[in-house]
Amino acid sequence: MLAASLVWFALLAAPSPATSTEFVAIPGGEFRSTIRYAEEDAPRHVDGFAMSRTPVTVAEFEAFVDTQPQWRRDRVPSLLADRGYLANWQDADRSGIDGDAPVTHVSWFAADAYCKSVGARLPDWSEWEYVAAASPTQRDARGDATWRARLFDDGTPRGIDARANAVPNAYGVSGLHGTTWEWVGDFSTLMGDADKRGGEDGDRLQFCGSGGLSFNNRDDYAVLKRVALLSAMEPRSTLGNLGFRCARSTP
Amino acid sequence: MKRMFKRFFLGLALCALAVPALAGEAAALPGDSVYQVQSSLTDQDGRTVAWQDLRGRPAVVSMFYANCHLMCPLIVASGKALQKRLTPQEYAGLDLAMLSIDPARDTPAALREVATTHQLDLDRWHLLRPSDGDVRTLAAALGVRYRAQPDGTFNHTSVLILLDREGRIVARSEVTGLQPDAAFVDKVRETLAAAP
Repeated sequence: MLAASLVWFALLAAPSPATSTEFVAIPGGEFRSTIRYAEEDAPRHVDGFAMSRTPVTVAEFEAFVDTQPQWRRDRVPSLLADRGYLANWQDADRSGIDGDAPVTHVSWFAADAYCKSVGARLPDWSEWEYVAAASPTQRDARGDATWRARLFDDGTPRGIDARANAVPNAYGVSGLHGTTWEWVGDFSTLMGDADKRGGEDGDRLQFCGSGGLSFNNRDDYAVLKRVALLSAMEPRSTLGNLGFRCARSTP
Repeated sequence: MKRMFKRFFLGLALCALAVPALAGEAAALPGDSVYQVQSSLTDQDGRTVAWQDLRGRPAVVSMFYANCHLMCPLIVASGKALQKRLTPQEYAGLDLAMLSIDPARDTPAALREVATTHQLDLDRWHLLRPSDGDVRTLAAALGVRYRAQPDGTFNHTSVLILLDREGRIVARSEVTGLQPDAAFVDKVRETLAAAP
């Protein structure tokens, strides 16, 4: 057991070939999400997984574009990214901006491809929300009204994690409430319409067409704002303050 | 069928030559082609096929999972009903591809069973299992949403998507019953007529 943990730790600590992305082990647990899908009411169990310690940086993304030039902004097909893709870079292969800053102006497809390139994936919404519920001192700080109120500044330079020397949260993860929003792997399920239920019940089929998502806690405005933002995106969309980080399932 | 085999072996040869060859082929694709996504799938006979192997002929694609008792049979029935509305020549020119959103359970054997149950013409139908990591990417390219539910079933968009021979989305038809809507059938025939 100990040996297995050590190997897992070594895997987490080992830098990926293309980048130096560091992953932090996140223990699983029960979590009551702020959002609720129609089919769920009980708290959700989040399995243990690993999340990158910081958002993917401009320098890391430059290295990716270098090894996979089909993701250069002058070569990327329109299916996979809109015209804003990496629009803030000086050249197609060189950003000319702060390499340590979170990369932005990236589509979901590009984020998905980046994470695959380091043997990872985008985190699911429930994983993201679970880790983002932590303050520097508490794994679930959502009962702390002062902390929660500060989350209104997510996605702006006033965000809790916006400063470079901001303290990591209780899991050791940084930047979840910084200047940038972050893609999640299942962002498209945050919107309920156009769904058709695959179950047996004809009535539910009708019901499902009207939307599968509601909110458990309407006071959690910062999360509602984030969900609203993500649900408005297409997978090829880009924004100047939307980046991403990667995750790995625990083997 | 022969043609499909040829494409399959050509695909293998290209794989052997490694990525640059594939990238070269992709570069000639329209930017909005869904075949811009590079993905390797397994079909109902356990063969590895490239997503791009569908390129070259118009196709109707959908996403489904085998262990699904309400919407998925409707999707298949709707595809078969569409085929019945075509002339023999049109019928022979249209591929139908069903992509699984449940690769863990949709083994080639499970896909084969769907084909048998629904008596699908496997010269035209392709039941395909993407790798785990590619399901979301393909779904995003096709505009299909899905979500696993706690009981092991899935919520998912039930839609027939018409692709032209280059993989551009021409039309979509929400599956609501056993028959595809008439406008969609017209689009399929138009697209087949335009294909050389």
